[in-house]
Amino acid sequence: MNYLRPAGQGTMMNALGIKKAGAAGVVVLIYSAAVQAHDPVFGLGPHTLFKNATEVHLGFDPSRAGRNQQTRSTLEFAYGLTANWTARVELPYESREKGPDGTGDVGIATKYRFWRRDALGVQESSTAFLRVKPDTASAGRGTGSTDSILGLAYGYESRKWYRWAAARYRFNGETGEGLERGDKLLLDLVGGIRFKQTAYLEPDWVWMLELNGEITGRSKLKGVRVEDSGGREWFVSPGLMWTLRNFAIKTGVQLPLASDLNGNQEATDYRARLEFEWHR
Amino acid sequence: MKHPLLIITAALLWSTMATAQGVRYELRVDGLACPFCAYGIEKKFKKTKGVEAVDIDLERGLVVVSAGEGVQLTREQVERIVKDAGFTLRSMTEKTLP
Repeated sequence: MNYLRPAGQGTMMNALGIKKAGAAGVVVLIYSAAVQAHDPVFGLGPHTLFKNATEVHLGFDPSRAGRNQQTRSTLEFAYGLTANWTARVELPYESREKGPDGTGDVGIATKYRFWRRDALGVQESSTAFLRVKPDTASAGRGTGSTDSILGLAYGYESRKWYRWAAARYRFNGETGEGLERGDKLLLDLVGGIRFKQTAYLEPDWVWMLELNGEITGRSKLKGVRVEDSGGREWFVSPGLMWTLRNFAIKTGVQLPLASDLNGNQEATDYRARLEFEWHR
Repeated sequence: MKHPLLIITAALLWSTMATAQGVRYELRVDGLACPFCAYGIEKKFKKTKGVEAVDIDLERGLVVVSAGEGVQLTREQVERIVKDAGFTLRSMTEKTLP
């Protein structure tokens, strides 16, 4: 039974009078904003902070899927518990074309680097990642559920070349109205290059190209499968990382490569990201 | 009799001057791929008492730490600082500045 009317037919309400989040809303809300400089723009990387480091991060994520345009802004604070273990708090703010603006769900994340290999001008490492997002958003914002993400990331950094690979799995909880959004598998493959190796106190430029995949399961409403939910989307994402000593700017755009969404859903048109980071 | 005294005085004066110029530690560090990450090494050493300057050469994997008069950094201390910054110390050389 299809509880949700297809997109494009006015206000989307299900049989319980609950507004459908829409493909764009769901897609934006799964953003894992826990990215750090010298990690990919959209994918998960293995980078951790040095011991006792503090980092402030401000990110802007505009996106569009059909008629749904939204921008998510996130303020994050991170701390290096050890050189291999970082903790982070994310405070998002959501702004949509339709609907009220407001604070999103707070996120708490941690990353642990369990393997590292250092050589002259090279660092290779792997980390495990956990993020939990309780239902803390203001009315009409957030997912309405407690969700969590587990991930594994691998990265190779050298003076010229970069490569990353990551997999994340998002476990979505159930809302108070009985909606359980499909779990999501996120896959990332990234290559990067530093064309000119500059000195330590000079600006540094790293150019990246990402392949990001999202495989989403079907949603359920009170145990019944929602037909217009789930599917696959693949993106190619060029990006840039610019740093100067302890300040970084990262930017990129996710462009749809292929999509196979179930039922009648609006595919993502684009997602962009602009981030500022400072650590000390 | 004055000459030996003169020599001894000159020698003592010279050794004092040598110590007053401080010490330079040349560290070979593995894992220094990017400047944003290398900042941790600069920060950690600059917080260490007696350290006056830190220079980082990413291409050579070289970190030069200049310390003031009477400051002595042990190998264990330096290893810990480099480790807490997220890198690996490969070698350490101490040079007294003339």
